[in-house]
Amino acid sequence: MNPIDRFFEKSSRSLAQRTARRGFLGVLGQVLTGSLLIPLLPIDRMSRADAATVPGDKAASPKAGSNDPQNCEYWKYCAIDGFLCSCCGGSSHSCPPGTSASPITWIGTCQNPGDGRDYIVSYNDCCGKTSCGNCECNRNEREKPLYRLSRNNDVNWCMANSDSNYHCSVSVILGVQQK
Amino acid sequence: MGIRQLRAALLVLSVSTMGSATIGAFAAEPLASEEFTVDSMPPKGPHWVYVIDEAFYNEIDSRVRVFDGDSYRHLGQIDAGFNPGVILSPDGKTTGVTTTYFSRGGHGARTDIVEFTDNASLAIAGEIVLPPKRAMMEPTYFNLSYAPSGRFAYVAYITPAMSFGVLDVANKKVVTEVDTAGCALVIPTGPSSVSSLCDSGRLLTVALDGTGHETSRALSEPFFDPDADPIFVQGIPSATGYTFISFAGQVHDVGFSGDKPVIAAPWSLVNAAERGVWRPGGQQIGAINRRLARLYVPMHKGDEGAHKEGGTEIWVFDLDTHKRIARWPVTAQHLKPAIAVQVTQDDKPLLFTGGVDGTVAVWDAVTGHVRHTEKTLGQSPWFFLTP
Repeated sequence: MNPIDRFFEKSSRSLAQRTARRGFLGVLGQVLTGSLLIPLLPIDRMSRADAATVPGDKAASPKAGSNDPQNCEYWKYCAIDGFLCSCCGGSSHSCPPGTSASPITWIGTCQNPGDGRDYIVSYNDCCGKTSCGNCECNRNEREKPLYRLSRNNDVNWCMANSDSNYHCSVSVILGVQQK
Repeated sequence: MGIRQLRAALLVLSVSTMGSATIGAFAAEPLASEEFTVDSMPPKGPHWVYVIDEAFYNEIDSRVRVFDGDSYRHLGQIDAGFNPGVILSPDGKTTGVTTTYFSRGGHGARTDIVEFTDNASLAIAGEIVLPPKRAMMEPTYFNLSYAPSGRFAYVAYITPAMSFGVLDVANKKVVTEVDTAGCALVIPTGPSSVSSLCDSGRLLTVALDGTGHETSRALSEPFFDPDADPIFVQGIPSATGYTFISFAGQVHDVGFSGDKPVIAAPWSLVNAAERGVWRPGGQQIGAINRRLARLYVPMHKGDEGAHKEGGTEIWVFDLDTHKRIARWPVTAQHLKPAIAVQVTQDDKPLLFTGGVDGTVAVWDAVTGHVRHTEKTLGQSPWFFLTP
């Protein structure tokens, strides 16, 4: 089993244990959607090789704000282009009340300066209300143009929601990137 | 004095004051009564610009403002909804806007649409309702584009599967949908072909027949490396087609006047010492004056991931020699970094730059002199069109 399959198996098992059946089916749908994109998945080990550090090593001194989920410099937000849901009634990994979560997303890696690990995160949009407008954040580490959609943050990831207006963005940890 | 008495006293005072102040005016002729009308657009000037305000803080309310770079007057507005694509027709008479409206303002059922505005009146002159598949993204030349004849238009779909719609402009209807196998956007190629940018670094070109249906398709050779140095999707209209610039500053000229794209050898905006230090960045990352063969690019110092940061300088290149002929300061003259540039196509051109603060600067595109700064063109002037 290749590392990506292993990752998705592990994450879907873990999610199944943590969520109700209906929630699990929803998440499974996301994973299946993700699996269709596997050839394009942006888990780009080569480009990270020079930046990677051994877990536990002393990381480079963190930027101011890198531990504050309401700050664009928060480490998980390394490629968010939009408004931070943590300033809009949600958190760094949850949508504000009354919005809907985007079932499709793009995936990237961000390094946590606190432990020196690279984490795989999914960038999701929260949808169905007009622009939040708070905490605008425009970071684009390893972001790619539209033709590499699985790594693009210019497109509206609420596109497949029944209410497809864009409200804000989150960054959800999926797991630690295996070396 | 009670409130009522106070009011009465003030009324008397104000009437008596008005009377004494206007005694002299009675000697002159009174102003003529006015007719309440709606203006048409004035005759087109050489320095008009269509400013697309993405309205990022309230994105359902994007709009296009038509502005005269000579008189600095607002000439009118075209509504543009949510995440619009905006394009001018080949004859310049029509503005096409592809956008999305929600039935309850910020939420509700989604209507994807192309609206056509008559540029002489700025009145809406027709629409085509699309399937709910339109690419919701930042404006480029390739969200919506016209065939050179103006008979057909093409609109990019992302669901996230990628395809495009072929639109019959005269009869205001969707003709068909063409699958692009993961390649993005609609670049008009020759009289009746459409090219899209692919993740393999190639162009997919789909040929259409006289009714707008696919007859054949072909892939180009790879001409850029999406991993090592991707190109921005914001192509720049050139003398023969479109010019694409990479994140690191490589310039790829692609001729689109024939049935097949003609890809020229790349050249670089940066020399060896500047490579990896200075880079292009922003939303509309270049503009070409075809008559003077000049390319204008917002440039800044930055690392990987800085490709959406605006230019602290405008670099000017001669397209015949590929030599840089000027570096014009942006931030050094107290303008915010430029995230969009556009130039007029006459021989005394103006350059327009959109700053991250929403201020639009009007430059003499020959000397680099900033003639005017305009703060009333919207919150997110990220894309400009010049007729």
